[in-house]
Amino acid sequence: MNRERHDAMLDDVAVYALGAASPADARRVREHLAQCDDCRAEYAALRPAVGLVATSAEACESGQNGPHASALIKARLMRAVRGDAARSASARGAAIVWPAYLVAAACIAIALGTTVANISGGVRLKTAEAQLQTMQADLDADARRLDESRTTIADLTGADAKRYPVANGTIVARGEHIYLAMHDMPAPPKGRVYQAWTLPKGAKAMAPSVTFVPDAKGVAVVALPQDARATSVVAISVEPDGGSKAPTTKPIAVATLN
Amino acid sequence: MAQVRARNADAFESLYDAYHRLVYGIALRVLADVPAAEDVTQSVFMKLWSAPDLYRSGNFPAWIARVARNRALDVLRGRSLRSESELPESVPEVDSLEDVAFARIDAATVRGALARLPEEQRDPIELGFFGGITHEEIARRSGIPLGTIKTRIRSGLRKLRDALDGAVTA
Repeated sequence: MNRERHDAMLDDVAVYALGAASPADARRVREHLAQCDDCRAEYAALRPAVGLVATSAEACESGQNGPHASALIKARLMRAVRGDAARSASARGAAIVWPAYLVAAACIAIALGTTVANISGGVRLKTAEAQLQTMQADLDADARRLDESRTTIADLTGADAKRYPVANGTIVARGEHIYLAMHDMPAPPKGRVYQAWTLPKGAKAMAPSVTFVPDAKGVAVVALPQDARATSVVAISVEPDGGSKAPTTKPIAVATLN
Repeated sequence: MAQVRARNADAFESLYDAYHRLVYGIALRVLADVPAAEDVTQSVFMKLWSAPDLYRSGNFPAWIARVARNRALDVLRGRSLRSESELPESVPEVDSLEDVAFARIDAATVRGALARLPEEQRDPIELGFFGGITHEEIARRSGIPLGTIKTRIRSGLRKLRDALDGAVTA
């Protein structure tokens, strides 16, 4: 490349560094940069200047770009982020953030336990203990359901979840879990239900999975008990109430997991 | 960023506090529309939270500035937001002076340096960066020869670079 053409290329490098080159020119400059030390040095020299151009737009703390707008954005973002972080922690088995009603119930249980210590008389003590056990069982059941819900949400929204779009929804696989996340599903005919099917890897016949019906809005989020890692196909069909051992109708949705 | 990858909401909040004005400012400059700039800001940071691995290494402010610019330009062009694979990658080379450009030079100083550029150099630089148009389009709109536009962009960027050198050594 002669001197004049090379100088012109240095101008092209500046345009490329600014991000104002056409795709074809950008490709040409990148190829040239790979083999020209002078132009690489020019590119490295101009990059900070482009950083300055970007910095010039940084919003001030006052005026049109003031903190009010940023505070609203931040509030929205942090609400979503903290919720997601809590779900992630829960899914990992880390510290569980209890909702207010569980905290209140736990406080009642603790207060009741303290009170019980001061009650004289075996009958009243046994009654209180029985109430406490029932309450504890309810709390445990609630905590389990809450944990399952959190795991489901974390799985459905996880960045590493694999999503397979099907009619009226998506089949989601994350780790060993499989979910049907369905919407706008028509109610099945009377005496019929939807049934999920899975094809284990290496198998030739679909195996029956859970049956379900969508809610009044046509929404159904269903966790399948099968292991996603050992499953190659997931399907849904309409079956008689109670389910079938083998599909009796043509599937309305089929997804091949990979 | 390692803490953000570990789903640390406090670390994310610190990152937001440090860079939201840069992201919002770029988006507002490109779009000249407060709600749209807010949407872009939210979108950039939400993407950062949901897919932190998109940033791999290098100069983080430079990277997020480019992400903000690209997202805002996509909105400006009326296109759907870029897919993850199209997002700019991390700046491959470590340039300590570029770090300084983001870390130590305040926006007011930079705006002053830009304002001191001759208009014939400042306009194509700002049009190219915030307007998202190519140098050919700049030349066509202004009626100035293409080669002249390119030379003015380079001269302007070099003067800004010199101003940065002056600010760092001052």
